[in-house]
Amino acid sequence: MPRTRAALTAWDERGLPPEAAFAALAEESGAALQDRRIGALAQRLNFEQSGLRALLLRTARAQDRLAAPYAESLPALDACWGDPETWRLLRRAGGPTTSLYLLRALDLTRTAEGEVRRVPPDQALFRTLFLRTLWVSLLVTAACVLLGWPVAACIAALRPPWSSITLLLVLVPFWSSVLVRSTAWFALLQREGPVNDLLLFLGAIESPLQLIGTRFAVLLSTVHILLPVAILPMVGVMARLDRRHLHAAASLGAGPWLRFRRVWLPLSLPGVLAGAAMTFLLAVGFYITPALLGGERDQLVAWFIAQYLTREVNWGMAAALSAYLLAMAGAVAALLRALTGNTPAGTRA
Amino acid sequence: MKRLLLVVLALLGFAAPALAQRELTIVAGGGRLQEHMRATLFRGFTQQTGIPLRDASYDYNVGPIRAMVQANNVTWDVVMVEAPDLIRGCEDGIFERIDWSVVGRDKFLPDGATTCGAGAIGWGVAVFRDLNRNPTGPSNWREFWDVQRFPGRRALRRGARMTMEMALMGDGVVASEVYRVLATPEGQRRAFAALDRIRPHLQFWTGGQQPLELVNAGEVAFAAGYTGRVATAITNGAKLDLNWDTLLFAYDYWAVVRGTPHRAEAMRLVDFITSTGPLRALAELWPINPVTAAVANDATIRERYPLMLSRHQDRGLHIDTEFWLDQGPDLEQRFAAWLNR
Repeated sequence: MPRTRAALTAWDERGLPPEAAFAALAEESGAALQDRRIGALAQRLNFEQSGLRALLLRTARAQDRLAAPYAESLPALDACWGDPETWRLLRRAGGPTTSLYLLRALDLTRTAEGEVRRVPPDQALFRTLFLRTLWVSLLVTAACVLLGWPVAACIAALRPPWSSITLLLVLVPFWSSVLVRSTAWFALLQREGPVNDLLLFLGAIESPLQLIGTRFAVLLSTVHILLPVAILPMVGVMARLDRRHLHAAASLGAGPWLRFRRVWLPLSLPGVLAGAAMTFLLAVGFYITPALLGGERDQLVAWFIAQYLTREVNWGMAAALSAYLLAMAGAVAALLRALTGNTPAGTRA
Repeated sequence: MKRLLLVVLALLGFAAPALAQRELTIVAGGGRLQEHMRATLFRGFTQQTGIPLRDASYDYNVGPIRAMVQANNVTWDVVMVEAPDLIRGCEDGIFERIDWSVVGRDKFLPDGATTCGAGAIGWGVAVFRDLNRNPTGPSNWREFWDVQRFPGRRALRRGARMTMEMALMGDGVVASEVYRVLATPEGQRRAFAALDRIRPHLQFWTGGQQPLELVNAGEVAFAAGYTGRVATAITNGAKLDLNWDTLLFAYDYWAVVRGTPHRAEAMRLVDFITSTGPLRALAELWPINPVTAAVANDATIRERYPLMLSRHQDRGLHIDTEFWLDQGPDLEQRFAAWLNR
């Protein structure tokens, strides 16, 4: 609505805008409804404040009944048009760029006066969500590295053909679909599933545990899914380690623990960091597994991105959340890079 | 290398004509219903008109439709959509206006014909329980909220839409007043307070089959589930009780995607698949909930399917599309925040 925007840009936000703005709005909203361009603006306004979509559409539909002076007929149609606040929101929505989505994705909002404030606690959601995503991803990464390290060390130490066979055992689950593996966990963990049956049989519990819909289920299954991702880079690095270093250390009198701590661990570290980085980057974007196995308090950012993208069709919000998620992943990757001494993780073996 | 090039060229040769003359394409929610629609509605259309028709299914997420309209690469022609998506898509110019000179307008139930949509099927959500596990259960939303009288876990759909209405009715608001109350800040607070009260007894589902699994496995005592799926389970022998006094319902619509090269054929298709003859044939195979009045009120069909939505609609609450377009984004986020608390 170019004329409305022009009239509002000229307005100084004090009191009500001039008659020209009222007139432009009354005519252009009707035309926008006719040409079916009004939806995007209506959605954009409604995101600023619920109810503005209805206001704009009501005004557009009533266009034929409105008459000059519009500064009187519009407020008569709906008292909101007599409120400078409505016009300020409209003016802001007319701008080519907005920080609103980026703010909302951090539970912040901008008041009519333009100051940035936190949203009321009953709407706050995304900070918890980002912290939870970070926390879950770190837990998963730590567990994958701790569990994967001994496995990788074993595979690297084995001779052919056993090394290829064990590697294949890691690769086969890696090649099967994430969805299949998540669903398998659902079958295992459900109330009348094998895990509960076994625990009941062993007498460890008296009634079936509620495992589906818990954080535990999400962590368990995510760790299982991402374990190969952590193991493979570690195997890659460990297999290429020069064993003569260990022999040299032994010949100099170092015991097993000292050999491990001073030689083996530092040399395998690039592989560990590469595995950790890959695990973390994948864990940050997980959403099928939490959606299937988690409860209401276990959903991660990626689930909400998908929701905004395909279901609510609020691409601004999806983009803002993705940008922060990317920044978070990037920050961790940069941190790991700094830890490996500025060489790309995994190449320094 | 040369062979690879040949293969690529051959593939391109196949692909190019397919792109140039894409068949008329109709998209619905998939499953058994779509198989039966293909056998009756879609094949019937091709038989009568000679126009080839392809069908595909999607998950009711309208994001991709929006993207194809914006990218000017429309590959779907007629789509089954939910009411809020239809109205919004209509305002945004994602869907064509229905050509009511081609599609008969008088055949629909009230609200079945809108600017951009022709009523396809009705769907509803209502409370059900396993009769073996729970011989008695809540008969309305007030009793559903009464955890003393009817102890046990309850399952609701994860999302604000419908749950807010249920919470208010559970708090004693009569159905006709629900949307008036829910439009006020106090009403919204009241709904969340009602949810707070029974939160320890609540569990939320996302996929339509989940409430049935939850009730079958005894994970919950009572659940709100899609009436169509519950009815199918009952027909297949499950001992379930479906309570029609807790019904909330809405319609799905056929819409024509804007910018389709097959606009005229699409309108004829919409008219054909909402007309009495083909829908009667479909009703022979599947308990549909038609929005076409002649079929919805057909005595033989109603006799045949006691669990058909059309027979119980007058006891239910029609979900208010306009309300959810206005308040939906805000309430959905507050609901998500509430769930996370």
